Amino acid sequence: MRLPRIFRTTTFRMTLLFLAVFTFAAAAFLLYAWLATGGEVKRRADAEITREMNSLEAIYRRGGVQGLNEALIERGVGERPFLYVLLDKDGKKITGSIAESPIEKTAPGENWADFLVTDTDMDGAQVRRQARGLQERLDGGEILFVGADIAESEGFVTGISRAITGAGVLVILLGLAGGAIVSRNVSRHMAGLTDTVAAVRGGDLKARAQVRGARDEYDELAEGMNEMLDRLERSMGGLRHAGDAIAHDLRSPLTRLRARMEAALIEVEAGKGDPKQALIQALEDADGVLNTFNAVLAIARLQAAGQAPDQTIFDPGQLAADIAELYEPLCEDKGLDFKAELTPQLTVRAARPILTQALANIIDNAIKYTPEGGAVMLRVRRRSSGEIEFSVTDTGPGVPEEHRARVVQRFVRLENSRSEPGSGLGLSLVAAVAEAHGGRLELDEGPGEYNGMGPGLRVALVLPRAE
Amino acid sequence: MRILIIEDDFEAAEAMTRGLGEAGYDCTHAGDGEAGLDAARAGEFDVLIVDRMMPKLNGVQVVETLRREGDATPVLFLSALGEVGDRVDGLKAGADDYLVKPYAFPELIARVEALSRRRETGAVATTLKVGDLEMNLIARTVHRGETEIDLQPREFQLLEFMMRHAGQSVTRTMLLEKVWEYHFDPQTNVIDVHISRLRSKIDKGFDRQMLQTVRGAGYRLDP
Repeated sequence: MRLPRIFRTTTFRMTLLFLAVFTFAAAAFLLYAWLATGGEVKRRADAEITREMNSLEAIYRRGGVQGLNEALIERGVGERPFLYVLLDKDGKKITGSIAESPIEKTAPGENWADFLVTDTDMDGAQVRRQARGLQERLDGGEILFVGADIAESEGFVTGISRAITGAGVLVILLGLAGGAIVSRNVSRHMAGLTDTVAAVRGGDLKARAQVRGARDEYDELAEGMNEMLDRLERSMGGLRHAGDAIAHDLRSPLTRLRARMEAALIEVEAGKGDPKQALIQALEDADGVLNTFNAVLAIARLQAAGQAPDQTIFDPGQLAADIAELYEPLCEDKGLDFKAELTPQLTVRAARPILTQALANIIDNAIKYTPEGGAVMLRVRRRSSGEIEFSVTDTGPGVPEEHRARVVQRFVRLENSRSEPGSGLGLSLVAAVAEAHGGRLELDEGPGEYNGMGPGLRVALVLPRAE
Repeated sequence: MRILIIEDDFEAAEAMTRGLGEAGYDCTHAGDGEAGLDAARAGEFDVLIVDRMMPKLNGVQVVETLRREGDATPVLFLSALGEVGDRVDGLKAGADDYLVKPYAFPELIARVEALSRRRETGAVATTLKVGDLEMNLIARTVHRGETEIDLQPREFQLLEFMMRHAGQSVTRTMLLEKVWEYHFDPQTNVIDVHISRLRSKIDKGFDRQMLQTVRGAGYRLDP
């Protein structure tokens, strides 16, 4: 038989365990209390009985049977703390408050006994009460029995035992109830998490555990789990998106390649085209497709990863200086004025290779779109916010404000850039790199009119401050 | 010059064998990692071209095993895995160069040439000499004939690489990787500009042009 769910929880089992320990402790305590108080009652009764017996023996030694008899009669009247029986040598009762000794008359020396006495209570009903007594043979051969009613003391012990037992039972019941409530509570909290896990396992990546706002460990666990699921969902989404994007984005360049090859084939068959030229063209087209593929893949991977891999801490000015060194001759060749303004001794935490590529992309763009006689400026500085900014300013035609958000999207190329070679992926990659570092890409107007050109563009890759 | 191609894609291996054969190389093909490892152990090859993802033993395992056994044959990894991390893994395993699929054939030839040649120049040279061009690696000076040529540090590195691979085609990607240590394809013709600057320094005013442009591949420094 399977227990109800609540009884199978760890919390409930813990409750049971503690209850068992407690019950055992209570039983031990009870036993000890019973032994200790019970023993004490007997010891006291014995001492009192012995004292009474000694006193009576002294009276006997002084006044003989006669004196003892009188004393007994005298002491037997009224409240009777003691019970007496005095027998003569032959065992015949001389006097006494009870009918006969509960002990054999022939028993030698001192004899102790526990016995019951029949008494009449206030209502006239017969009750039997616990008693204890000592019997001794006096020097003259008479037998004296002195007993005491210990029912009251015994009742006290029984009361204590009963109280302890009752408390124990009560504690066990309360413990069971408390355990059940706590278990149900824990189970309810855990059930939310378990349900979420089950839902996610079932394929619902949008399932999230409920955070109740109690800021306790369950909320912490739920929050942690939700963060993990967010991350997972982003990654999965990124990957799926990457797959879709690659399929979608490559279809058009591949179609174009195919069309050109087909056209070339028709021309060659008609004897008009040069087969070698057609092949060279096809090769170049294929290279273009491959470049696109690589760029899309790089962007998709960055987006799917969520965070740039292998980040290290280095000097961003040094990285920019290296890139500047690579591109400066290209600027000079194109008749562009190139300047670099690099703040020394900054630090940034980033994946150096992809950051380099992003920066190269921005400079590539700037050089590509700035007409001869223009200027390109590379700058690395720390903003007052602590963020590290790589910015490239050019004096080209710029990007109108309404298009700035759009050019960052993949494959978006503005009309006036169609004549330039390129896939429209450059800035998308830069944006992906920025995001993968927790930063962002900012597009702004450049320096304005310059040598009759402008307004230019300022592209800034902003990375968060290194902690 | 003997090359061992360890590649599970038969067609790719076939194309490589044909292309490298035309370039004057003698190629042997192994279809999986185990066969490749056996062949590499048995035969004397000058260069190994190893695919990374293969059945039985992957490329990294093959190269690691060979290196552990003391085999120093130059290895070129050929892989569809082209992320920086993948390249680092490959090079750490003991490969000498890394080419990402799909590749252009001139790129492969150029890299194989560079590798096969590297083996012969084992000794640490203090001067390089190609034709009448002479480079002193200690003093960091360059002369062509009697004329001293003044080079910027990066131009010096560029020329040094070209001189170490004199007579071989060197691609733009190789230059970007080996001289600048960048692993990406620039959209613009940055490398061409650097080469043309170097060319103007070492060839201008001389009858013979040493720095040649190789169509479809890159550049070559001829004696």
